[in-house]
Amino acid sequence: MEKLMAALKAQIVEQLNLQEVKPEDIGDDQPLFKDGLGLDSIDALEIIVLLQQHYGIRIANPEQGPEIFRSVRTIAEFITAHQTPK
Amino acid sequence: MYIYIQGTGCVSPQETAAGNTFPAAVLPWEGPRLKAWEPDYKQWIDVKLIRRMSRVIKMGVAAAKLSLQEAGVEIPDAIITGTAYGCLDDTGVFLSKMINQQEEMLTPTAFIQSTHNTVAGQIALMLGCHAYNNTFVHKGFSFESALLDSIMILREGRSSSILAGAMDELTNHSFNILSRFDLYKKEPVTHEQLLKSTTHGTVAGEGAACFVLGTEKGPNTKAKLTGLTTLYKPAGKAEISPDITSFLAAHNCSQEEVSLVITGRNGDAAGDEWYEYVEDTLFAGKPVAGFKHLCGEYPTAASFGMWMGNRILAEQEVPAAALLKGTVPDHIKKVLIYNHYKQTHHSLILLTVC
Repeated sequence: MEKLMAALKAQIVEQLNLQEVKPEDIGDDQPLFKDGLGLDSIDALEIIVLLQQHYGIRIANPEQGPEIFRSVRTIAEFITAHQTPK
Repeated sequence: MYIYIQGTGCVSPQETAAGNTFPAAVLPWEGPRLKAWEPDYKQWIDVKLIRRMSRVIKMGVAAAKLSLQEAGVEIPDAIITGTAYGCLDDTGVFLSKMINQQEEMLTPTAFIQSTHNTVAGQIALMLGCHAYNNTFVHKGFSFESALLDSIMILREGRSSSILAGAMDELTNHSFNILSRFDLYKKEPVTHEQLLKSTTHGTVAGEGAACFVLGTEKGPNTKAKLTGLTTLYKPAGKAEISPDITSFLAAHNCSQEEVSLVITGRNGDAAGDEWYEYVEDTLFAGKPVAGFKHLCGEYPTAASFGMWMGNRILAEQEVPAAALLKGTVPDHIKKVLIYNHYKQTHHSLILLTVC
């Protein structure tokens, strides 16, 4: 889980071009949207694509989005629960 | 009704964005391509927004902010831009991803930012300006069309201050493609040599220049936009002279009253013949200035020329680097900017000191 969260932080920083944020600056449980990291709805779409590209995961129910994207930990838990074993 | 230039802003291959004045020294360059000198955009744009912006958007927003600051205008009554190429970089990113990823899993950012009206839209979003917002994409007349629309709206009395401007960026892709059209010089050339060149081709450039135009004088107004016209594909050099004479007459200005002619001379032998003809037949003995050795050639480069013309009227001085010939009078009253893009899109802009 720790390795996955570290990888996710690096991917989020790169994909969203967070110029003044380092992956290690993002807390595992830090809220990603609004008052947390300050991401917005366009970033949410970018993260959806990121999950498809890097982990082969599609979010079937968009209503789950706010829950899944709450923090890096919740995204990592979602990936762990839904990734098809290789 | 007079149309006043209340504020200006310019991002160009020179340090025009630092202090918003004509730079004391020319940034030297060599080769067929000039790149914009970019300021620290964080002074105008939130870092959360910068991360999504390509260079042309940042250049356009910075030029807009500079002009609004100088004009003392927070929210204009309209935002009108001109661009020939639009947001090329993001267009390239999006199209490359479409191809590489077989049209699947495309991210939204590059697509959203790739349209030609992105810059005007971003300025409006940042200012919270819900007024008229339009972008003209008319090749070498893009800037002039934005100006013309602004003039018409101001004359109709629908607005009192309009943000008008133009921006174009050069990317590696676009430079390579434009080079294949044989637009640029093959031999090495510097800013000192370009306008004396007698060979084919010019140098590529880029930049953004914005103007706040209004029907009232602003606190920093130094010049009026007296006239503007465009001439598409004139039949020959002989046709341009009467057009210029008529243009000046329409604005109650004689050739003698023009204090300075600014031409779009760019070092391309065939293109420069037009300027030489006009200088010799209509303005013999008049001082002539140039600007494309400072900003390079691009379809909206006339916006840099207008920015420079306004600065010359404001400071009552022609920078040594811009003066090509003649003696500048003590009092510079009227500046005529004659520019053409690839000999097809000709434009005339007349500025008058306030």
